[in-house]
Amino acid sequence: MKSYLFFVLRRLAQLIAVIFAGVTAAFFIAHLSPVSPVESIIGRVSGQSSYSPEAVEALRQTLTELFGLDVPLHEQYFNFLGRLIVGDLGPSLIAFPTPAMRIVALALPWTLGLMVVQILIAWFIGNIFGGLAGYYQNSRSLKAVGVVAIAIQPIPYYIVAFLIVIVFGYLWPVLPISGGFAMNVRPSFTPEFIFSVLHHALLPTLALVISGIGTWFLGMRALVSNVVTEDYVTYAELAGVDQRRIVTSYVIRNAMVPQLTALAMALGLIFSGTVITEQVFAYPGLGSLLVRAVNGGDSAVVLAVSCVAVIAVATAIFIIDMIHPLLDPRVKAE
Amino acid sequence: MDRRDFLLGTTAVGALLAAGNGLAFAQDAAVAPPITDFPREQTLIINNPDAPPTNPDMFNLWVAGAGVSAPNGLHQLSTDTLWFIDPDAGLDGSLYNQLASEPWQYNDDFTEMVVKLRQGILWSDGVEFTADDVVYTVETQMNTPGMVWSAPFAQNVASVEAVDNYTVKFSLKQANSRFHSLFSVRWNGAWIMPKHVFEKVDDVLAYDFNPPVSLGPYTLNSYDPNGYWYIWEKRPDWGKTAIAPYGEPAPQYVIYRSIPSTDSRLIEMVNGNLDMIHDLTPEGMFSLVQQSPTSRGWFPGFPYAHPDPTLPMVIFNNQDEKFQDKRVRWALALMLDARAISMASYRGAATLSAIAIPPTGTHPRDYHGPLQDWLIGYELDTGTRTINPYDPTVGLQVADMVRPQFGEAVPTDEAAIRTAFGYGWWKQDIEAAGELLTAAGFTKQGDQWMTPGGEPFTFTIRTQPEGVMNRFGTMAAQQWSQAGVRVTPEADPQLFQQTLPLGTYEAATAWSIETWGGDPDLSFFLESWHSGYVAQPGDRQTPRNWQRWQDERLDAIIEEVRKTEFTSPRNLELGHEFVKLMVDEMPVIPMMSFNVFSAYDTRYWTGFPTAEERPYANIVTNWANSKYILTQLKPTQQ
Repeated sequence: MKSYLFFVLRRLAQLIAVIFAGVTAAFFIAHLSPVSPVESIIGRVSGQSSYSPEAVEALRQTLTELFGLDVPLHEQYFNFLGRLIVGDLGPSLIAFPTPAMRIVALALPWTLGLMVVQILIAWFIGNIFGGLAGYYQNSRSLKAVGVVAIAIQPIPYYIVAFLIVIVFGYLWPVLPISGGFAMNVRPSFTPEFIFSVLHHALLPTLALVISGIGTWFLGMRALVSNVVTEDYVTYAELAGVDQRRIVTSYVIRNAMVPQLTALAMALGLIFSGTVITEQVFAYPGLGSLLVRAVNGGDSAVVLAVSCVAVIAVATAIFIIDMIHPLLDPRVKAE
Repeated sequence: MDRRDFLLGTTAVGALLAAGNGLAFAQDAAVAPPITDFPREQTLIINNPDAPPTNPDMFNLWVAGAGVSAPNGLHQLSTDTLWFIDPDAGLDGSLYNQLASEPWQYNDDFTEMVVKLRQGILWSDGVEFTADDVVYTVETQMNTPGMVWSAPFAQNVASVEAVDNYTVKFSLKQANSRFHSLFSVRWNGAWIMPKHVFEKVDDVLAYDFNPPVSLGPYTLNSYDPNGYWYIWEKRPDWGKTAIAPYGEPAPQYVIYRSIPSTDSRLIEMVNGNLDMIHDLTPEGMFSLVQQSPTSRGWFPGFPYAHPDPTLPMVIFNNQDEKFQDKRVRWALALMLDARAISMASYRGAATLSAIAIPPTGTHPRDYHGPLQDWLIGYELDTGTRTINPYDPTVGLQVADMVRPQFGEAVPTDEAAIRTAFGYGWWKQDIEAAGELLTAAGFTKQGDQWMTPGGEPFTFTIRTQPEGVMNRFGTMAAQQWSQAGVRVTPEADPQLFQQTLPLGTYEAATAWSIETWGGDPDLSFFLESWHSGYVAQPGDRQTPRNWQRWQDERLDAIIEEVRKTEFTSPRNLELGHEFVKLMVDEMPVIPMMSFNVFSAYDTRYWTGFPTAEERPYANIVTNWANSKYILTQLKPTQQ
């Protein structure tokens, strides 16, 4: 137990160091953007009438001061670190003066909800069928599943998404093809709202699951193909252990460890959002927000998304590290 | 359940609960719209072309960069200002006296402007609109830097006063015969603020104005906290708004929906879930009219699209040494084949213009038609000979090119073809182009033109990353390269925000000419072309003279426009002088109007404007003046 505690403390220190390095890199990368939020706004505003050079300069000075860009970069950095500790990343520069974190908080639950669910579904189904296909290598139906998985896996996601829109939005228009929930439903924790959210999430989730499932299937099948040749599997078979138990308790479980790590990594990628899904299905989320922020030079929102991602991914990996020794006795907390 | 199952299970359930709770919390915190049914026969559903706003809860569109989406119905249905100038014919002429009861009145030297306001207009909370609101709007923005109109007001206005409840007097810092244009809506204008609301606010810049108090005929009913839709409901007292003289808006509800994918827009209209689409791709439009018999565009047949009063063109950076000789600019123009560009960019559905005026609204009547004879007789000295470069039949030729594919949808009447495809353009004349380059000191080595300095004549043309402008730039680059000038097209997502203003380009496909559309006056863009506004190389250029071109004759025209009353016939004469100067100098190569493939569906509503019968309004849905369409609609199902 003492060694586990030491392991936790050491990993905690690493976590803090990783987060510090990550947010520092995010800060400077975000501020290296050649796109100026001030000039973007000037472009939009002054395009609406004949702004004289004097008027443009007056607006430029005002916005630069309002956005806090009139101080040196290192000063901005220390201000940023001070605010980060209390969770304040300053105002968005393309939605001034609304706090950047508030804007991110609006989009984040949609991305989290959609991505976590689709990754878990794809992971679960892909691993189950991949595991079975790896073990029952002579099964015709599982071979057919393998062929389908190999066929679907290389199809670009946007093709799958558009096909689904055409099938369920046009040829057989039974499901909504845009939006996060119906227009006549009030957002609240009611069955009506939850049903509407699930109803609208069906097609985006389906598209993501179809695109993602093949990778898990193929990965798990390959892993299981190796595990079934292990001595302990042969021994169990010779010993007359129930085949279902061999598959679930010995084969798939042992093959699952790298898949669990991959799952953690996949969950970490959630924070880059799903730009294509959001565009095709008019679905809210972080991806489109991030694109708008980058194009508008909104370093505050870019930073907010980056910081959430850095902290969440580092924390997720930390938790996985903590759990691993508990899940797999072969992993030692040293 | 063993230890591992328990760990996995609790982690998964916890993550899902956290996500779900966060979702509901975030939405709840944003807004609580009422549950309402929207009877389809009383509801008009419009596509808002904007992406969902970054700040969906923000309705304070007076703050610069606040993340507001004005075209979500806010500036069409809720805000209002003194005048509107329609880019098309208008219901009773293109000039609408909106909150003003009559046109502007200037004193003799244009240093004062008096405005008479309509009486009996109410804000949606029942407070009367008066001159105090106008004064407050101007003074607040002058005193609060960082608002959209702060700078132009501060630059122009010495003082503003309410002479009485319905009369406002502006004293200007210097003569300005176009000061009223700040309050004249083309796409938008300086919207009037409700004094009784904003004067109670501590920080005007931080105030979200949610829900907005409306001066238009609709109020906000509800909206998506993520900004994908906004629903507006007709005011019971709509008769107390400035739209009342033009009729009652028919729809009880108007929904603006952001749908980023053009394919999804098309499908939603086919399924009856959209009545008006702002824009489709050319191919999307052709597909829509094939599949939906109740859908159509601005024109009843090909080319379907509405020509906006915006003029896509090749813009040269005239401060770049390569483009400072007008013979070079003319040579590059004569290397282009407008027919191929029309086919490449718009699949033939372009409305071409050889002159620096968009071929839309009332401009063909005022400019393109009357200048035909001058263009046909225009002579260009190539240094070797004199040619007549203008071909008045190019529009007809494009119509013939698309007829095999689109058949009866392509008009056959010559006048209709000119309206839809444009009049003429410059004949592609590679030989004359070579003569012009030779006269300018260029030489040809093999297939490559060399500059007078002995370098290969090459340049990069910046284009937008996608769409018709990208196709236009790519085709132009290909034609120049085939003619011996190696041109590389380069997609530039920051074209209008950074590249054009900073002048960090050689050539670009973009636009620097936008007009009122419904009026021959050119001040909307021309004032910004004065040499006084041209930045030094490396400095940021004020919109819109991206070409950084200056000419004493141009300055003389602009300075006379400044002293000429907006409604004077002299403006049209000055406009013709401008066009002729532009043809002579070719500082940009005008190509065509910006055609927007707007579509509407007549399943639930009729009475939309049409090119052939009632061109009373711009069909494009994100323009504020599209609100007049609502007064002309009739439901098909009672």
